Order: sequence, then C-alpha cells, then structure tokens
Amino acid sequence: MPTDDQTGLTDYSPDGVDLTLIRWLLSLTPAERLNLAELSANEILAIRELNARA
Amino acid sequence: MPELRYTATLRALSTGGVDFILVGGLAAVLSGAPINTFDVDVVHSREPGNIHRLLPVLDALDAVFRIQPERRLKPNASHLSSSGHLNLITRHGPLDLLGTIGQGLGYQDLIPHSVELHISEELRIRVLDLETLIMIKEELGGEKDRAVLPILRRTLEEQRKR
Repeated sequence: MPTDDQTGLTDYSPDGVDLTLIRWLLSLTPAERLNLAELSANEILAIRELNARA
Repeated sequence: MPELRYTATLRALSTGGVDFILVGGLAAVLSGAPINTFDVDVVHSREPGNIHRLLPVLDALDAVFRIQPERRLKPNASHLSSSGHLNLITRHGPLDLLGTIGQGLGYQDLIPHSVELHISEELRIRVLDLETLIMIKEELGGEKDRAVLPILRRTLEEQRKR
C-alpha cells in the first residue's frame, strides 16, 4: 500500500506498484521464482482450507 | 485440492516431448512479476505429432476436465486440436491447455515472442515474453486482465533497466 515515502525507504510507481518487490523478484533465478510461486500458492490454499474448516 | 506442483507439471510436459509455451500468470511470475497464480496455462502446438505426445502425458497426470471433475472426462485428440481452451485438473493442480490466445494466436505465432528459460539442468521451457503478455491482456481488456497490467508494465520497465 503506498504510504508516505519521504524517508526514501520505499519506492512505488505513480500507479502504486511496489518497485522494490519487482526488483527483488528479478534478482531471483527463474527456478527460484517458480519455486516461490508454487510455495506461496500452496500456503494460501492451506490457509483457506484451515479457515473453511474453522 | 491437490498440492500445486507447477514444476512437476512442466517437467512432465517437457520430458514427454510436448511442444508448448507457458503463458498467463506463471509466465508473468517467471518474468519477475510479483503476482499470485493458481494454475499452469500453456499454449500447445496443435500439430498431430504433438497431440500424439501430449495425450499420454495428460493421462499420466490424471488430467480431466475441471468443470465436472466427478465425471472424469478426459481430453481427447479432437479437443486438443481445437483453438479453444481446455480447463483441466491434474494430480498436480489446475492445467489450462489453450489452443490459441488473444486474437487467435497459436503456438507457431507465439514462438517468436517467447524465450527459453532454464529451470534446471534438465528442464528448459519456452515462456511467452512480457511484452506479448501485456499486449494480449490489453487486447482482451477484461477486468481481471486490466487489474494486473500496472504490475506487468512496471516489471517490464524494471526488466529493461537490467
């Protein structure tokens, strides 16, 4: 979420995209990006499943 | 819901000798876009030989149509020859096989707009480039496609700075 970046500790594009996140992802190899996508999708599904049961 | 195993799906297609291009959300992630996705979208070659190689791979993946998974409807050669979209569920999660994307672009049309990425020593896959992914989403103009465009455009800008 874009917030006050007067301290220079954040970097959002004018349309609100977190550029630091993009740069971090670009620093990974394709295999690492694929692995991250797989892990994060599974984590999200696991959390959804846990909450559906609650 | 099976555990999502994108790498296993891509490896199965690759080792089965299937000609395909990864498109959609996972292609965007592999290009560096920070988005979440829950399926593997590929445009496959609809050449008879490729369909012949694709069918046993789908069988090994237990692929059936997602719309009524309980009916266990398997895709056949005729389905795979069509220009339409096949929304499947496999043992490794959802897999969409797309005959064409955008304004009727098939495998051969997309080859010049794809790059080969090395995932590991034994796994190399063709991935649609970010420019084309953006162009297709702009053409489609759906709400879901428009929502992700700012992230894809900024990723392309950052990619070009490298």
